[in-house]
This record gives sequence, structure tokens and C-alpha cells, in this order.
Amino acid sequence: METFKGKVRLVIKNYPYKYRDFSHIAAEASLAAGDQGKYWEMHDVLIKNSPKLDRESLIKYAKEIGLDVKAFTESVDGRKHAARIERDKKLAVELDLYNTPTFFINGRMVIGERPYEYLKKIIEEELKNAKQ
Amino acid sequence: MKKLMILLLLLVAAVSYAAEKRFVVPVGDSPSYGPDNALVTVIEFIDFQ
Repeated sequence: METFKGKVRLVIKNYPYKYRDFSHIAAEASLAAGDQGKYWEMHDVLIKNSPKLDRESLIKYAKEIGLDVKAFTESVDGRKHAARIERDKKLAVELDLYNTPTFFINGRMVIGERPYEYLKKIIEEELKNAKQ
Repeated sequence: MKKLMILLLLLVAAVSYAAEKRFVVPVGDSPSYGPDNALVTVIEFIDFQ
């Protein structure tokens, strides 16, 4: 992202799979951190520590990145962002997505884990198109 | 052999069509990083687990 500073925007949608234990709670945790202005810090911590994303671990990560742990825990336990997550999931189903991560780069769909170089190439193509 | 050629042609057509297709995905109030008026928007559907 730093390579394209100012030119590229990254947007995250949650698509937690039903049959995975901690997908939902991890999505809640990311948005709860966002409420405290630390979405990206939590996002990075979750990716680094996946799949260790049980409730106790999430609370530990919240403490580590300096969140108000009480507010964070209340938010996660109360599933405060359930409606937002459901909205993302509904969108994913409408788009017929069956895999994560799935990327849309100016609407161009890229399915699954890809090397950074591959995504970079598409972003560069799109930047070139946009400038013409 | 002819059938195989037709199949190959169809496959190539399908791949190039897929490459051109652009989806409209609303950004909404989702977490985002970078300027709203960026030339390129990358939307990622994620499952942290």
C-alpha cells in the first residue's frame, strides 16, 4: 500500500465463513477496534495471529495495541457490528463469492491468495488506464 | 480435432471475457485506507481466520 500512497484506496469487507469457529468474532474485533480509531492495527494483528482468534486471544491483542479493553469486550460480546457484517456477507453472496480473500481492483475480480507482485501488476495497469 | 479447436476457442473467449468483466461493489461505510478519490480502489473480502 505504501508504494501507491495517495493513489490507491483499500476497502475491507467481511466475509466470515459460517463453519469456522472464530471468523465472526474476529470480524467483530476488527470493527470494535475501528470504533477506537485502530482498525488497521487490529487488522494487521489478526492476520499475523490467525488462526489463533479465540475470545481471550482477541482481548489480549486489544490490550497490546492499546485499546480500551472494557469497551472493546462489550462491543465484541454484544456483537455490536453484526448488522454491518451481515450486510457484507449478503453482498458477498450476491456476488457469488466462494473464497477469501477475493479482491476487486477497480471492479476486476481476483480470487484467492495471490503473490503481492500479481496484485501490484493489476494495480499498475489500472493506474495507467486511469491516467489516460 | 475440430471439436477440440472449437472448445479451445470457446475457452479463450471465456477467459478474455472474464478478464474484461468489471463488478460494481459499493464501498459503503466499510473500513478504508487511502483517499476517497484514489485512482484505484481495491476492495478485499476477508476472513481473518
